[in-house]
Amino acid sequence: MLKINNLNAKIEKKTILNNFSLNINPGEVHAIMGPNGSGKSTLSNILSGKKGYEVTGEILFENKNLFELETEERAHKGIFLAFQYPLEIPGVNTNIFLKTSLNAIRRAKGEKELDAIEFLNLVKEKAKNLKFDEEKLNRQLNVGFSGGEKKKNEILQMSILNPKLSILDETDSGLDIDALRVVADGVNALRKKNNSFLIITHYQRLLDYIKPDFVHVLINGKITKSGGPELALELEKKGYENFN
Amino acid sequence: MREQLLTDFDKIISDSKFSNNDIEHKRKSLNKFIENGFPTKKNEDWKFLDIGRIIDKNIGQLDFYNNYSSQNKIDTSIFVKGLEHNKIVFVNGRIEKIDLKHEENNKIEIKEESKSINKFNNINSLINLNNALTNKHYTITTKSGYSLKKPLIIYHSTTNSIYKKNINLRLDFKLEKNSSLKLIDYFYDDSNDNFLNIFYSFDLAKDSILKNYKIDHKDNKNLKYSYNHIDQSENSLSETFILSSGSSYLKHEINCNLNEKYSSAFVNGILKLDDLKNHEIKTNINHLNENTKSYQLVKSVLGKASKAAYQGKISVNSIAQKTDGYQLSKCILLDKTSEFNAKPELEIYADDVKCSHGSASGSLNEDSIFYLMSRGLNYEQSKELLINGFLLDVIEKITDSETKNLIKNTLGLKE
Repeated sequence: MLKINNLNAKIEKKTILNNFSLNINPGEVHAIMGPNGSGKSTLSNILSGKKGYEVTGEILFENKNLFELETEERAHKGIFLAFQYPLEIPGVNTNIFLKTSLNAIRRAKGEKELDAIEFLNLVKEKAKNLKFDEEKLNRQLNVGFSGGEKKKNEILQMSILNPKLSILDETDSGLDIDALRVVADGVNALRKKNNSFLIITHYQRLLDYIKPDFVHVLINGKITKSGGPELALELEKKGYENFN
Repeated sequence: MREQLLTDFDKIISDSKFSNNDIEHKRKSLNKFIENGFPTKKNEDWKFLDIGRIIDKNIGQLDFYNNYSSQNKIDTSIFVKGLEHNKIVFVNGRIEKIDLKHEENNKIEIKEESKSINKFNNINSLINLNNALTNKHYTITTKSGYSLKKPLIIYHSTTNSIYKKNINLRLDFKLEKNSSLKLIDYFYDDSNDNFLNIFYSFDLAKDSILKNYKIDHKDNKNLKYSYNHIDQSENSLSETFILSSGSSYLKHEINCNLNEKYSSAFVNGILKLDDLKNHEIKTNINHLNENTKSYQLVKSVLGKASKAAYQGKISVNSIAQKTDGYQLSKCILLDKTSEFNAKPELEIYADDVKCSHGSASGSLNEDSIFYLMSRGLNYEQSKELLINGFLLDVIEKITDSETKNLIKNTLGLKE
């Protein structure tokens, strides 16, 4: 599904990703763990098409060159990024935003757009599963939401948009244990044989709830070790220094 | 210009039925205008919108005389739909229709009179021009205790039969005790290169409420000056909302005197400009008595070499204790060619007051655009969503829900 070959990324002449390669097959859950500044967020930004990076190498998503696609086209193809710091968008109603987003993606895929009632039924169901306060959906997008609510809102968007590849950029940071469980349940509910996940995190904690198929250690822009879920436990014990 | 003015003035006087006193007064105003001419940026108040230069550069010689003897056809397709309203229709400066069918008889009155002709001398050069050249003076009175059932829309429409004309228009509004008036000024121009000079005065008696919404949205190449003078008595309230977007050049000026205690004034506005347009909102709120309140919020979205300015002045008289004055201006510059100027002024002579001002301008947040695009919206949609979101809170200040919807629809804000 996703093939990253020898990806190099620089920002203002500083190398952030250095010959980074990764393969994700349909249905797989990959976790990338790494210390601060190792390039985790840069990776997720580049996958989503954020501008401002100087990149070389190759990223194929379902055999299409991602560099040829704009951010919104990547979303149409099924790539979703749950932001580390979801932005507050004043004046934009959350429900209206969600509907605009879902219908933009459905339209691009040639599917029928949902009308207001169909949409509300869908959003109600998803919000309920995530224990997301429905009243908040009538508020301005992320404005005045707590850190946990913002993260939950990302997972809500993910479950509504039903992407093929979900990238979770430190979604666990700032979550209390209950919220963490709700978020993990949301992700697990989406785990299907065709949906893949790339989970970026500092800590092993989230991986207690979302069992990854593969764990990779990212240090200085490079994967220094890959393994199964046990690697996360090892990291937690030994720290990143031993993987450099 | 002098010769043209004098000839045109004589024609206007010979067409009209003004008393000798009135004519004398008008002639004085004309001479005053001739002495000073159109304001230019040498005058501090006009430094952001140099009307003298705009006329020189874009219009050239103006024609000050309008033949009001023949009727203009009204294009009814311009009327606002989906909102029941009373109307006064101006076409090229001539009143073509007065329709107050939603109101009770004798509760709102329109009279042709020139009583207040002497009242506003030398406010500025353009008001002198207006005093000199208006052919008619109307006073619109809302009677004591009466609230208009439906808004009154004043259509300021122009057609392509006028070109390089100066139109001067004057209306005086009286709101008697405990009355209320919702007034929408709706500009619709099919003409270019004219100068429209509109002067309103409002006299708000105790407990009266004025809501004045101004909508200039249709693209046109005219120059406009709109001056509102508002006098407020005890516990009266004025709400002014300006949507300024359509004309090439437009300056709104609000001069509001909070003469008696517990009177309050709200001025909110949107300047949404592109294509080299240049607009300005200038306010002067005078707190002249205790416990008066003013609130101003102006938001601008500027692109394509457009320019906007907001000059907001709050003056607090030494006896106006417990004044509450607030103004805030925010601007989004969509590109490097556009320009925004803010000039807030506070002049405070009382010691127990609460006054504040703020101004911020910047570009659209690229991270927010990236966030929205990562959810499948394209760049244009994301930009539009952010701009509409930015403007929403000033639109939410409109207290009349029907007008709020009209303005949302005008701006294409979808629910």
